[in-house]
Amino acid sequence: MAGDLIVALDGVAFGLLLYCVAAGLSLSLGVAGVFQLSHGALYLAGACLAWWFAAQGTWLGFVVALLVGLATGAAAGGGLAELLRHVPDHLDQALVTIGAGLILVEVLTSGYGAQARTVLPPPGLDGAVTLLGRAYPVYRLTIIAVAAVLSAALHLTVERSRPGVLVRAVAADPRHVATLGVEPRRVHLAVMMAGGALAVFAGVLGAPILGPAPGLDTTVLTLSLIIIVAGGLGSMRGALLAALIVGQVHTSVAVAWPTAAPFLLAALLLVGLAWRTHHHLITARVA
Amino acid sequence: MDRGWTRYNRHVSALAVASVAAAMAGCSGSSLDNTAEPAPTSELVIGVVVPKSGPYQQIGQDMQKGWTAYLDEHGNKLGGHPVRIVEADEGDGGPTARAAADRLITNEHVHAIVGVANADAVNNIAGPATAARVPFLGTGGRPSTLKDLSYTWHTSFASTDYGTAAGPYVKSTVDGPVYVVGPDYQGGKDQIGGFVTGFTAAGGKLANPGAQPTYTPWPGDNNFGPWLTKIKDSGAKAVYAFYAGPAAVAFVKQYQQFNVGLPLYGPAFLTEGAALAAQGQAAVGITTVATYDPTLSNPGNDAFVAAFKAKYNGSSPNLYVETMYAAGALLDKAVAVTGAKLTSESINAAIGKVSDVTSPRGTWKLSPSTHTPVQHWCVRRAQPSGTSVANTVVTADLTTVGG
Repeated sequence: MAGDLIVALDGVAFGLLLYCVAAGLSLSLGVAGVFQLSHGALYLAGACLAWWFAAQGTWLGFVVALLVGLATGAAAGGGLAELLRHVPDHLDQALVTIGAGLILVEVLTSGYGAQARTVLPPPGLDGAVTLLGRAYPVYRLTIIAVAAVLSAALHLTVERSRPGVLVRAVAADPRHVATLGVEPRRVHLAVMMAGGALAVFAGVLGAPILGPAPGLDTTVLTLSLIIIVAGGLGSMRGALLAALIVGQVHTSVAVAWPTAAPFLLAALLLVGLAWRTHHHLITARVA
Repeated sequence: MDRGWTRYNRHVSALAVASVAAAMAGCSGSSLDNTAEPAPTSELVIGVVVPKSGPYQQIGQDMQKGWTAYLDEHGNKLGGHPVRIVEADEGDGGPTARAAADRLITNEHVHAIVGVANADAVNNIAGPATAARVPFLGTGGRPSTLKDLSYTWHTSFASTDYGTAAGPYVKSTVDGPVYVVGPDYQGGKDQIGGFVTGFTAAGGKLANPGAQPTYTPWPGDNNFGPWLTKIKDSGAKAVYAFYAGPAAVAFVKQYQQFNVGLPLYGPAFLTEGAALAAQGQAAVGITTVATYDPTLSNPGNDAFVAAFKAKYNGSSPNLYVETMYAAGALLDKAVAVTGAKLTSESINAAIGKVSDVTSPRGTWKLSPSTHTPVQHWCVRRAQPSGTSVANTVVTADLTTVGG
């Protein structure tokens, strides 16, 4: 029983790590409306930065990787926003971002050598603590703490702050916002920069758990897409809930019922879509 | 929420779902329409299939080095015939491997196919190769599910062999139940299944729930935390695990992070090649059974290791390098007695007449019934070596298994 609780805790840590990645995609896709399929490649870039600067686990290297990661992620997101400014069609956007992602992955792969690389957590976070009589890695608890702060900050910014209102307004009706004297393109650019920065940030943060390895970009992109679709595009709260469920599917459920885990993710996607379609029909009728 | 936004939301959701489906299905390699002329009879055309993408990419690079080493050493000739190589990608063992086999057979008219790291790719290559009567020399795990062996040969091992060799050994060194865990694909089930058979036959007990082996999702996310917690709760005295490549790195690192603290055993892959380098100190103390190790002492291996180190900046060869080198040795021997007129059928018949092969691991027999090696096994332990970690052979002659 206590062991199951530890497994569930691990599911929370894994789910929250996924939330950090998916939150960025939720901003790009759900709020800025850019079909960003290079998001997994950006995560891989973050993991590579962590490996380059902090493979042996130093605070200086970790902080440098985080700062460089935030800057490059914002630049990549902003670059994509500019590149796709005149590409309104989602299929075209998908092609451009898949292509950009493939190029980035190839460059990174030649850099890290197409093999699994390990990244040690910074000193002080690399040990284990005893929880319910079992050793549990401190770094995973750190991820829970960081992701909790991040999700609260994102929630407050997007749902409660004035810039957040503006961002949601641009997503819903850019032309209307333009009449208020705000240039939607700038808001767009800012959101894409935030999305890119979040992806790379998550890569640096997650590297000690999901470090550079072949196929990492696809795994991360797939899970992120599942999370934001099941949770509702652009909804930070929905993404958080979906990420926590995916985390449990990958841990508690996978331990108890390993062959079912992949199918349950697809089921989650269907339930999320069906439930929200139903919900929207009701709101549409009321409106 | 207005209707426009809802429609937009649904439209993007549908695209996102399609993307998930596409990402999950993976990109299957399409074959280029090469209409090559059939090769002149004196030239030997060999298709080499190794992972150039997917999780076993690094293993593919090692395999390529082993194959190149044999050809370089023998003037790019096998059995006296000049060799032309056609390379193909195995991918993650699925549709990409199948496309590779189709292209090599249909468009490139190869005499034989060599390679494959993932046991799952074997069925995808052996099927079309057997149908076209092209011999396939596998260099990774042979899955137990392969039925028609007439054109399939392995210079490596049957996937169950490792466990067969390790089972009685682990029983003799561990006093108590053992937890077994591996990835949920055919190669993993064979590796673990072979161990369970050998271990329980020797009187061993499994610590897993219901005394059934545990399989982790494959391809998974390489987060082994939940299973490591379960292992600690199981009352096991030791763990036997099969993972290779990036999964082996993740498992061993997390085994240390979760302070499992139980002796860890496994087949060679757990601490092989690039995986061991990435695991570093976390691998110290892990015991593996193997058919090959660069420190094995025999004259052929000494020369092989020295030449390999000279060529690749002092890095040592490993089992992936050796099984490809052995495929070169087996083909060399077979083609030498095939005669002047080379056909894939005549080469296949000649392979069947080869009784033993000498490669860096030593001299081994090719079983006429299973078409896999009957060979010696050793026990290794990962130990600190300077600033890094290296395997050290602790029992040179554990047992003979195979066939």
